[in-house]
Amino acid sequence: MHTHASFFRRPYSSMTPMLSHVTLRLTPIRATLVLAILLIVGSLWMSDFLQSQASNWIIFGLLGVSLVFVWGKAGIFSFGQGAFFGIGGYVYGIASINLVAVTNETVSAVVLATLGAAVAAGLLGYFIFYGKVGDVYVGVVTLASTLVLFTFMSSTASPVYHVGDALLGGYNGMAGIPPLTVGWPGGSPVALTIWQTLAILVALAALVLCVLYALLARPFGYIVSAIRDNEQRTQLLGYDIRLRKLVVFMIGGAIAGLAGALYAAWSMFISPTVFGLQQAALVVIWVLVGGRASIAGAFFGVVFVEGLSTLLGSGGGNATPIVLGVVLILVVLLLPQGTVPALQSWLRPRTASSTPVEAPAAEPGGAVDPRMPPGLSAGSSANGSLRVDGLLKRFGGLTAVHDVSISFAERGVHCLIGPNGAGKSTFFNLLAGRFSPTSGQILFAGRDMTRAEPHTRARAGMGIKLQIASIFPGHSVHENVWLSAYAKLHSRAAAEARATEIIDWLGLGPQRHVLAGELSHGQKQWLEIGMVCATEPGIVLLDEPTAGMTRTETARTAALISSLGRYANVIVVEHDMAFVRQLNVPVTVFHQGSVFASGRLEELQQDERVLNIYLGRHGGQRA
Amino acid sequence: MEHVSVGWLLNIGVSMALSIAILALVSLGLAVMFGMMGIINLAHGEFLMCGAYVTLSLTRIDVPLWLAIPLAGLAVGVLGYGVERLLIRFLYGRLADSMLATWGLSLIMAQLTVLAFGPSTQGIPTPLGSLSIDGYSFSRYAFVIIVCAMLLMALVYLMFTRTSYGVMARAAVQNPAMAAAVGINPRKLNALNFAFGAALAGWAGALLAPMVGVMPSMGEAYIARAFMTVVVGGPGIITGTASASLLLGGIENVVSYLSTPFFGQGALLIVAIIAVRLLPTGISGRWQRQL
Repeated sequence: MHTHASFFRRPYSSMTPMLSHVTLRLTPIRATLVLAILLIVGSLWMSDFLQSQASNWIIFGLLGVSLVFVWGKAGIFSFGQGAFFGIGGYVYGIASINLVAVTNETVSAVVLATLGAAVAAGLLGYFIFYGKVGDVYVGVVTLASTLVLFTFMSSTASPVYHVGDALLGGYNGMAGIPPLTVGWPGGSPVALTIWQTLAILVALAALVLCVLYALLARPFGYIVSAIRDNEQRTQLLGYDIRLRKLVVFMIGGAIAGLAGALYAAWSMFISPTVFGLQQAALVVIWVLVGGRASIAGAFFGVVFVEGLSTLLGSGGGNATPIVLGVVLILVVLLLPQGTVPALQSWLRPRTASSTPVEAPAAEPGGAVDPRMPPGLSAGSSANGSLRVDGLLKRFGGLTAVHDVSISFAERGVHCLIGPNGAGKSTFFNLLAGRFSPTSGQILFAGRDMTRAEPHTRARAGMGIKLQIASIFPGHSVHENVWLSAYAKLHSRAAAEARATEIIDWLGLGPQRHVLAGELSHGQKQWLEIGMVCATEPGIVLLDEPTAGMTRTETARTAALISSLGRYANVIVVEHDMAFVRQLNVPVTVFHQGSVFASGRLEELQQDERVLNIYLGRHGGQRA
Repeated sequence: MEHVSVGWLLNIGVSMALSIAILALVSLGLAVMFGMMGIINLAHGEFLMCGAYVTLSLTRIDVPLWLAIPLAGLAVGVLGYGVERLLIRFLYGRLADSMLATWGLSLIMAQLTVLAFGPSTQGIPTPLGSLSIDGYSFSRYAFVIIVCAMLLMALVYLMFTRTSYGVMARAAVQNPAMAAAVGINPRKLNALNFAFGAALAGWAGALLAPMVGVMPSMGEAYIARAFMTVVVGGPGIITGTASASLLLGGIENVVSYLSTPFFGQGALLIVAIIAVRLLPTGISGRWQRQL
């Protein structure tokens, strides 16, 4: 996901939906409705041919929208939209051929097709997302599934393959599919005219767009964009990303299926070519041309590319695929963001992105607010006790963590130190759920967390801060903390208030609306600590929080951690002796994968054995 | 079901081995590009098709088939080198974009072939005839395909373990920064990797040409299965391709034999998706080896 984050980063100007300004601006929903009405009325003066052509483009536009939602908005690299389109088309064909004689309508067939495609997407998505298939593979698996469906449907030419009255037809396709028809059982079927069909299609497309815009403006939409920005952090905050990706994938599948059903009704025919490589390529080209994160851009892409092919088709004939291929390559090489966003950024004066960011004022160590971290109160904090029993982790022949048993009280800071290769980072990753232990048990607040998913740990109250700051670089500081607070509070307003408090506590108030990716190294680390606090954890695990920090930044971090330790259990894996001394807390020394000694730093410094294995060999002069 | 005899068993065995060999052949080039460069080449099917057309053209000018097949692979390898220099090298680290650009390339290559050779299917007569055992007839060329699939796997193994190119290529995959620091030029290696993968695709197309119809869209028939094989096989080029070909080719063949190729295709898709659920990094993903 990290590699994709930079592609999909939104400009800052569109990043403020959480700060609700109630003004009568032209929202995307209003614009969609106005355009839809204009198009429906305007099409009355179009020729039949143009109306039919426009219907086709609206259908393809919907297919493009399904890909924008899945890929551009959620960052799921799917090439399977053609498959769901085709499934929708075939389900509509089978259902309408069998049902129209009974019910005199085909609306139910459209509904069935949409559901069918959503179920297919759900099945495929379950295997992909719950199997934790990597980003690379998602594209390949969805594409390969589409192409296998092509071969599969192509081999159904024999009349043996039929569903009720509907012959699948193999490579030649399924013919005799009824057009959109309204009626009721016992009444007389009324097939829609060309203009009525177009009007219905425009209304349906407008409805889909409005639903998507509304969905993206809700917390669900923010979480989806957080997944795109930083999947790991989203999970560490306690959001189940597998479920959300599955839901997104199913919604995308349903939209593609709806488009497929409408396509089958419009052309009264469907063939396996919808599962072909060229059709799959076209969807991606439309979306690329329109901009992969622009919902409305999908329609522009369709009109542009299909208009171009129609022009070429009447003139150039066989050259169409060549031109399409060249367009695709040129867009990828020259305009990776798509033409519409490229035009927008060209026309718009660059003000938003060049807002001067105040220099990170490295305040002296005492500047930390001595109050408790917001949300974490002294008496009522969650039970933060952690017990580890006989934890063992082997990598091949190497035993990185060897039979570690240790328990931590409910509150207070505790440091884990040890020379390089002592196993403290592996131990941390076992606690954080990034590795699964070979044997042993991790009990948090009495619950078994040994093999729990990262989001389960987070929800139980385990807050995890990784060594390299894991934040949402494409979101503002406020949005970063809001996303964290919302994971716990499930209320927009409460999360707003909590985010404001925490940012003040961190001392990042002046940077509130700056993109997190633009913060200094130290500020990013503090932001991540604040994000972990916003989830009201019972325990906070920090992996080398001061790595790469200046002396003043380190002192400030120590103050933050000390104040955190008064309200929660805090475990810090550290390297820097000066920092450990500043914290002045109990220390556990790791050596060769096991707990070697425990106590206060001053006592350990007197211990000959510790000096030999650790201080004598590594950084002795610093200690 | 027919009664069990030596010929019957042999018939099933050869047919299954042939399915597996074809799957391995068409996947090997894709696996080299993916395993060594992390590039998903969607024009793979078209490289394969190019190999078939080069073979076809060479045999038309009376070049013996046994010479035409190796030459076809070399020709496609040269083509691959050019493609890497002109297009792919701008797209490293941009996975989605590299897929899209190679997709565009596949459209262009397929259509140029239509313009040059026409859309119809052309054939090269299958050489060597057939032999008859126990009442069953076997194409001798099927054995050639099975043997060549194994030879090409051996070639990939030797290439990556015995040549300086291969050793450097594996080093560059494991640790690009360190490889560059000890003086390995990753750009040159990438071009060679891509050319090698393309040549393997060319050889696969050339070997298949006398067995199947040669037409501009022939790549599409194999590409889906090749992708499934690479996904199921994982990053190990030889171990992954061989194990996934065995699994998928075996299952497709058995199901097709017991019912129809329709259900064979379906079984392949279902098994592949289940395999992905259980082993998300592929069969070879758990082994700490590259080849």
